[in-house]
Amino acid sequence: MENRRLLYLILISVLLAVYYLLLGINIQHAGYYNHEALFYIEKAHIIFDGNGSRLKIIGLTAPILPFYGILPFSFNNLLAPVIASAIGTAILFLIIAIIIIKTTNDKYFLLILLILFTFHPGIIFTACSGKGIYFSLIFFFLFFYNIFRFYQSNTTFHISIASILLVALIFCDYRFVWITLFFIPLIVSIAIQSLNLSEKQSIFRMFLSFNNPSLRRKLANKTFAIYVIIFILPLISIICYKILNQTHANDFNYFNDNPYATWNVLIDKLEIRALPVVNNYSIPEVSFLTSIRIIVYCPLILLGIFLFRSNVQYFLTVTIPFALVEFIKIKYGNSFLNQQYYLIFIFMSFLAIIFNSRIISNNIVYKALILVLIIFQIYMGYNYLNNSFIESEKSFISTIKKTNNGDNAYDEYIDLASVINHLPTNSEILVDDANAYPIVAFVKDIQMLTLPYQDAFLSAIENPSKYVDYVLVTSLTNNVSGYTQLNYKYKNIIETRNNTKMTRVYESYNWILYKIIP
Amino acid sequence: MVSTIMNDPIPVHEILINDQLITLYDLEKIRNFSKRSGISFIKIALTYGYISRKNYESSLIKAGYLFAENVRIEAIDSTIINKLDLKFTSNFFALPLRIENNKVVTLMADPTDYEFINYIYDIYGLDADVRLASDLDITWMSHKLLGGPFVKASVFNLMKSDPANSALVTFSPTQLSLMFITIAAIIIFLFLSFVYTSIVLNVIISSFFLISILFKLFLALLGSRFELHEAVTREEVRNIVDEDLPIYTIHLPVYKEDKLIKKLIWNLQSLDYPREKLDIKLLIEEDDDKTLNAVKDLNFPAIFDVIVVPFHMPKTKPKACNYGLHFSRGKYLTIYDAEDIPDTDQLKKVIAHFAKLPSNYICIQCSLNYFNRNENFLTRMFTLEYSYWFDYLLPGLDTLDLPIPLGGTSNHFKLDKLVELGGWDPFNVTEDADLGVRAYAKGYKVSIVNSTTYEEANNETFNWIRQRSRWIKGYMQTYLVHMRDPVRLYKKLGLKGFLGFNFFIGATPLTFLIYPLLLALFICFVIFDFAFIRTLFPNWVLFMSIFNLLIGNVLMIYINMVAVFKRRYYELILFSLANPVYWLLHSISAYKGLFQLIVKPFYWEKTNHGLSKINNTVDEKP
Repeated sequence: MENRRLLYLILISVLLAVYYLLLGINIQHAGYYNHEALFYIEKAHIIFDGNGSRLKIIGLTAPILPFYGILPFSFNNLLAPVIASAIGTAILFLIIAIIIIKTTNDKYFLLILLILFTFHPGIIFTACSGKGIYFSLIFFFLFFYNIFRFYQSNTTFHISIASILLVALIFCDYRFVWITLFFIPLIVSIAIQSLNLSEKQSIFRMFLSFNNPSLRRKLANKTFAIYVIIFILPLISIICYKILNQTHANDFNYFNDNPYATWNVLIDKLEIRALPVVNNYSIPEVSFLTSIRIIVYCPLILLGIFLFRSNVQYFLTVTIPFALVEFIKIKYGNSFLNQQYYLIFIFMSFLAIIFNSRIISNNIVYKALILVLIIFQIYMGYNYLNNSFIESEKSFISTIKKTNNGDNAYDEYIDLASVINHLPTNSEILVDDANAYPIVAFVKDIQMLTLPYQDAFLSAIENPSKYVDYVLVTSLTNNVSGYTQLNYKYKNIIETRNNTKMTRVYESYNWILYKIIP
Repeated sequence: MVSTIMNDPIPVHEILINDQLITLYDLEKIRNFSKRSGISFIKIALTYGYISRKNYESSLIKAGYLFAENVRIEAIDSTIINKLDLKFTSNFFALPLRIENNKVVTLMADPTDYEFINYIYDIYGLDADVRLASDLDITWMSHKLLGGPFVKASVFNLMKSDPANSALVTFSPTQLSLMFITIAAIIIFLFLSFVYTSIVLNVIISSFFLISILFKLFLALLGSRFELHEAVTREEVRNIVDEDLPIYTIHLPVYKEDKLIKKLIWNLQSLDYPREKLDIKLLIEEDDDKTLNAVKDLNFPAIFDVIVVPFHMPKTKPKACNYGLHFSRGKYLTIYDAEDIPDTDQLKKVIAHFAKLPSNYICIQCSLNYFNRNENFLTRMFTLEYSYWFDYLLPGLDTLDLPIPLGGTSNHFKLDKLVELGGWDPFNVTEDADLGVRAYAKGYKVSIVNSTTYEEANNETFNWIRQRSRWIKGYMQTYLVHMRDPVRLYKKLGLKGFLGFNFFIGATPLTFLIYPLLLALFICFVIFDFAFIRTLFPNWVLFMSIFNLLIGNVLMIYINMVAVFKRRYYELILFSLANPVYWLLHSISAYKGLFQLIVKPFYWEKTNHGLSKINNTVDEKP
């Protein structure tokens, strides 16, 4: 019986993956792209088709797991991220569904899960955009699932698995490392609960354990031990990763700060900076209001908090993501929150539902309320994406609705790549993929390009006429021209210093392609 | 030497009652037990905790008896001796030596034991000329004179019955050929292309390092799922009826452990098991007068039977245990070291667990841990290591149904099955690990029970290295023995068991051997930034080996950290960070073990016990 149910779930997951894939391919054909996916496409393109030392790209491209996620599908470069995210999201569905059938026999929970995964715009965005959000969501869900399981089983197994999952989560999105801060009160609470005291009330247990020297020592030791066992692995992994960055890129933070290693550096400038829309007052994303926005986006979380109200540990655990998101909002105040920081609450609320499935199964009111809230959430998911301050999210909906009036920022990259693709055979083009990766992603033959991962790149910059036939530089209007030497000043410098002539072959709003005339 | 028997002597038991050393109730109990077991009165009185040897001696001297001295240099008539059965005579603490004045000169610990005096008459047709002697001297003489065939059997039994599993031959010709061919091939390839060969070696070694640690992490995580599982509950132990319990043999192999004898008795007395159903054997080597004298000088009753193991090479613990097997009466058998403190209900838990398991389970391993964990850095690290080994890795192996390398002590066997397996391999210095694999290969299973024996953690570095080098050498021996014919082993263990054996028994010493190489490479590259490293290895190789070394170390640290939870040794968690340093000690031991494997494979590196200054009380149990 169990195997049969599992088989059905796998079948549904496969159908979901196909559904996402079809949607994703259609949306991409309609012209939807995003920087994250293009960044991964470009790096995968280099790994499989490039020529030169690709170690840094293989080992230090970040976030590393979403990047590795697309590699198996690189047989079709442009579609690889979409295939990965479609399959990844279907796997997320399968994981949750398996946990549901292990926890309860009530099919209602599977039904609402299926509704959510089929219709929620945020989840569809996750599955069809080609972004690596699905990876973060999988590990976020599993991390908290194991934390909850730890409360039930009290075995090191679940807490160790949670720790390993947190490592994976951090390597999907580095910002999740801050979650470690907000576990401190929770772990104190866990340690107090686990002390062998006759007193049942948390507050009195705390009072007793703080005022007895022996208990206090035990409490301190246990709190520290649990904290260490959850967080040492992520922290040491980051240190190890930083050492690898230092030994191979001479920069401990290469993976996080360098535009060659991560798409996040430029994206802050290109997409999600808050400044250009500071006058937009429609539910502004500022500090404590973020939590309100989250509750509006995912009211089911309130039900989760309500269901866990009598248990301090569970209650604190559910509230941790709020603290995390508020912290991220303060720490990275200049940028808007990505969709994934909203979506995590959907999965957290689902966890709360799963762990209270026995109460919910016996109460029709709860069931009805959950259904209503799910439908409301689906609408809010659409609403948030439609009004998102982040271009890649907003354009996802506008592409589906075909309301972007043919105004697509990615057309410029495609056009430029097309020009490069049509250059004479054996032409060599000097390109800096720090900011030109969206163009490189569309180039068919990457061997034509001289890129920074190759040893010849620095020499080619200094003496282009000896190494390349063309140079792609940023125009004066390009927002991110500061990240590369190949900018609008380059032409004058080279022409003056090297006595070389550069003639304009193609020019767009942000880019200029020059031909080198020795 | 003069006869010590008096005319119409008062029976010894009456002397003892008169001196209030035993009561009438004790006498009744001893007699009943003697009838049931065939063991003489004096042996029961002296080895089942009724009277101390000191008191016995003074009581008999007071009654006018004289103890013979220097019995070891007594003249022996081999025709008299050869008629004896050691197993029978050892029940009486008596030994006929020669015929003198038409009487059989007989050493006896109880000069009024008429059963044995009559036996002498029956055998030799002459009266006995009884000479009172210490039971320990008689035991020493008996085993020295009559133990030859038994000790030979202890050494050569396995070699004769199952030569393929005997470690007498360390490297088989095929293994030697393979090793030399491999070394030669590496050297040739190094000459042909130094860089590429170094790269290949580096990649293989560092990947192997990471994979073997990942396997350990996997096992530890698997084991951690069941950390709260109780194979036997307290309720089940309470429900056991003492009268239904079988005889339980305990082997205590010791060598020069004179300081620990008193502690040993104290620990054994705490065992919750009917005393008459315990068959405790203190196995003392023939040349170990220190321990023998310590037993002789005890001023309180002993609860064990001394067995003197006659001299025969190799002088190893498994040989002593095999020898003890010949005199063991129990249905079950376990081994403890002299300093061990088993949980008081351990034997009952084992019996309850055996009762629940299918019949092919022939051994149950208890956890080992340390009572002196907070003594110094070494004991802390050792405690962490034992905690993850016994609390997480072995249960992980158990869950996966892989061969379990038994721990040095506290492994409880079904005695008949142990004999069927051929006992321990006397040429293997980790005979326990070897036995675990042999049992698995014959289709038998080993299980784990939730009971702990607390030992003394080695607190002295050189002593630690000695002990560890023996263990690692033993793992190498075990690996070599069972890999003489990998195909046969694969057929016996199946794929899962074969891989488990290779990754657990084979990989453990190898990981320690390669660790310093990887560390040296890391230090040369990252800290000193030697140019030749970059010339020799391309970036991807360096990236990979650093990644493997770092992640491997992180995971080992993590496994150590996990280990503190089951036993609530939270204060040790930060010491896990020192695991890379601790591993260097392992590496030193591994190289020492490797060297010894080649030059003296059967040499038993003696671990000194009793060095701890901590009182061996178990202050906190899970």
